[in-house]
Amino acid sequence: MQNNTMQAVQAAVACDKIQLENGLTVLVRSMPGYSGVHAIYGTKFGAIDMEFEVNGKHVTLPAGVAHFLEHKMFESEDGDAFSKYAKTGASANAYTSFDKTCYLFTATQQIDESLDILLGMVNKPYFTEATIEKEQGIIGQEIKMYDDSPEWRIMTALFGSLYHNHPIRNDIAGTVESIAQITPEMLYDCCKAFYNPGNMVLAVAGNITTEQVLAACERANLPAQPATVKRIQPQEPETVARERYEFKMQLSKPCLGLGFKETPIEGAKAEIICDMLTELICGGMTEFYRTLYDQGLVNPGFGGEFLVLDGCCCFLFTGETSEPETVREMLLQRIETLRQNGVDEEIFTLCKNQSYGEMLQEMENIEDSATALAGSFFRGRSLTEDIEALASLTKEEVDAALQGMLQPQRSTTVIIWPNKEEDA
Amino acid sequence: MLQREQIAPGVHLNTIPADKFNRCRISLHFRFPASKEKATNHAVLPLVLERGYADCPDMTQLSRKLARLYGAALSVETSMQGASRILSISITGIKDQYALAGENLTAEYAAIALGVAFDPYFENGCFSEEAVTIEKDTLARQLQSEINDKRLYCVRQARRKFFGDSPAGVERDGYLADLPAVTPKTLTEAYQELLQTAQLDVICLGADQSVVCDMILQKLQKIDRKPAELTLRMAMPAQEVQRFEEKLDLVQAKLCMLFTWNQCVEPEQMNAFRLAMSLYGGSVTSRLFLNVREKQSLCYYCGSRFVSPTAFMMVDSGVEPANAQKAEAAILHELNQLITGPITKEELEDCRRGILSGMASVGDSLASLENWYYNEILRGGQVQTPEQSAEDLRKVTEEDVRRILAGFHHSVSYLVTKKEEADHAE
Repeated sequence: MQNNTMQAVQAAVACDKIQLENGLTVLVRSMPGYSGVHAIYGTKFGAIDMEFEVNGKHVTLPAGVAHFLEHKMFESEDGDAFSKYAKTGASANAYTSFDKTCYLFTATQQIDESLDILLGMVNKPYFTEATIEKEQGIIGQEIKMYDDSPEWRIMTALFGSLYHNHPIRNDIAGTVESIAQITPEMLYDCCKAFYNPGNMVLAVAGNITTEQVLAACERANLPAQPATVKRIQPQEPETVARERYEFKMQLSKPCLGLGFKETPIEGAKAEIICDMLTELICGGMTEFYRTLYDQGLVNPGFGGEFLVLDGCCCFLFTGETSEPETVREMLLQRIETLRQNGVDEEIFTLCKNQSYGEMLQEMENIEDSATALAGSFFRGRSLTEDIEALASLTKEEVDAALQGMLQPQRSTTVIIWPNKEEDA
Repeated sequence: MLQREQIAPGVHLNTIPADKFNRCRISLHFRFPASKEKATNHAVLPLVLERGYADCPDMTQLSRKLARLYGAALSVETSMQGASRILSISITGIKDQYALAGENLTAEYAAIALGVAFDPYFENGCFSEEAVTIEKDTLARQLQSEINDKRLYCVRQARRKFFGDSPAGVERDGYLADLPAVTPKTLTEAYQELLQTAQLDVICLGADQSVVCDMILQKLQKIDRKPAELTLRMAMPAQEVQRFEEKLDLVQAKLCMLFTWNQCVEPEQMNAFRLAMSLYGGSVTSRLFLNVREKQSLCYYCGSRFVSPTAFMMVDSGVEPANAQKAEAAILHELNQLITGPITKEELEDCRRGILSGMASVGDSLASLENWYYNEILRGGQVQTPEQSAEDLRKVTEEDVRRILAGFHHSVSYLVTKKEEADHAE
């Protein structure tokens, strides 16, 4: 890399990182010339955290609590957060994934006030039986909406087939029945364990200074609430829970899901390799994808992805196809061929190029930048470390990883068939 | 601030400063009258164009070429804008300063985008037979899979009933029944007609516009240009409300309601529409969100959106099958309440503030900048900056909002609901 390019890249990923005395990690990227600010306040608490000990108390949760709590955090004794944001003009939202919950806003004015709302909304939890009951109705509707999505259903079925016990088997939002079991006490226990500053990040990007963000943290007066927390994940066998699962929906064409269960991995390089493998196997640059596409076996949305969480690591290949069994066989054969012959040198180099461009792209907008900063906290490594890991990655390392990964005996197949009788 | 210059009949070069971004973007938007007869050819066209062009005819090689340019993104797509269709070709990639080997990336981006637009890969004067056959098959599968996304399916069905045979109702993705008649010859004819008749807007964000301009003028020399007149604005006439119900195997019912404004919308009315939509169902402080979703728990999602070129409003929602009628009544009730009942200054200002904030952040992404200015161009009035529009928005009154909302006539309700509803109603 030339010196001036290196400088440009370093400037593109630069940020300030501060750990406050109360344990909160603060990441700020000031972006001159931008009008808005995007802020994310996130906690390492997601759908898979269903069993833990907090200060010696053992807590077991029904599925969907992290997501339910996310909804509830918008309410407080003095009104809901959306109404407060309406006074600053900020656009607010939140999301829950398998391993984190994030609250966020985008604003162009009254930034300090919006930061105060953001830091205040999870700092003073407020739950009653009545407010919990109301939320159960809304979330019940959300769960039903996802029930009609073949993409969502195939992912859920893949997780349920790959894992015997790991909580990834459950839908992030839970079920209508599981969220009916939620009590105020459960929610307060979750707050105590996971909504303390030491388990959280505040990532802010855009038209803002580090001093402004630190001043907001000081105003919020977030107390250090050190809690002794032990996360408990059930024992998970190496084998898959079931090799095949098929069901029906009202669709025009079948949907195929092929999943591979992997031994959990750690580190930037291992994650980059796994991400790259999906592209090397069936990405748009491969002749393999071309064959599938030109023969009309898959639609443009067909592809692979990789997921790593605490105690869980898997590859998922999904897409719509009129011949799921043929495509499944071709994919398995393709992986075997790559394992024997090694990955294509040219495509490997191009994947590195592409990943480099994507990293720069992730630091372009205020939303993407704050998301990338928060992501670096959740992954436990900086963006610079990711770029360095990518730069030093060799084809031999990818070939070596492929020897142990994507083994057919640790795979599962899910097929959604069109509900023919409904066509009549 | 947009700089707009006519460089040939019906061809405008638009330049938007984009110094602060890591990437640059070049887009070509060809706008031409929508035609039901040619709709399927127009729908196949972007799929074939995206496979490659004369200098790089192979789809896989084109993917690799883009990856070599650090993952530059090429998109070729078509969209409908009232009675017009738009073919858009865009390329976005990192700026030259980030090139690891000092490459001139922006020149390569321009060569690809213009190559795709003006120099497609032909065999014997036509698109390749193989490419056309494959992409007809792709489009057929896409059309057949419409039912997989129940929400989108419901919206499309509602629009079909709403527009009927109007040119605004031409299907963006064409018609399954017309696919067999698409051949390399018909596709080539449709493409050549488009090159001759379309209004072309070239938008450069952070790319060298003089290089792009020279290249465009050179390409245009080979074309006998006869730009067509376009209908910018239209409206469907008010009618008795029509209700449709379709039963499918699903869990959550989808309800889409369409309302016509019954007359064309002038560009200067846009800010009143923006505020009216935000109040009714376009924001988290709207009546539909707060009352129908939050208070009554009737829908998981329930929002309104206004489409200005065709002057209609859409409310789509996901509802319990047993609650569909109740949800429709609640949606209509909220509209009526805004027209006849009180509107607090607080809710009006909350909504206004939210829109102003959105306008202030238009300059923060390449996509929102392009989207803002191209929509301004499409509206056909004076192109406004977000700041100028914000000034106008500040002047919109409660009475303006009421007048806008009172102008809507409920035309169509389309419900996609669950089979055996009676057995499962809660």
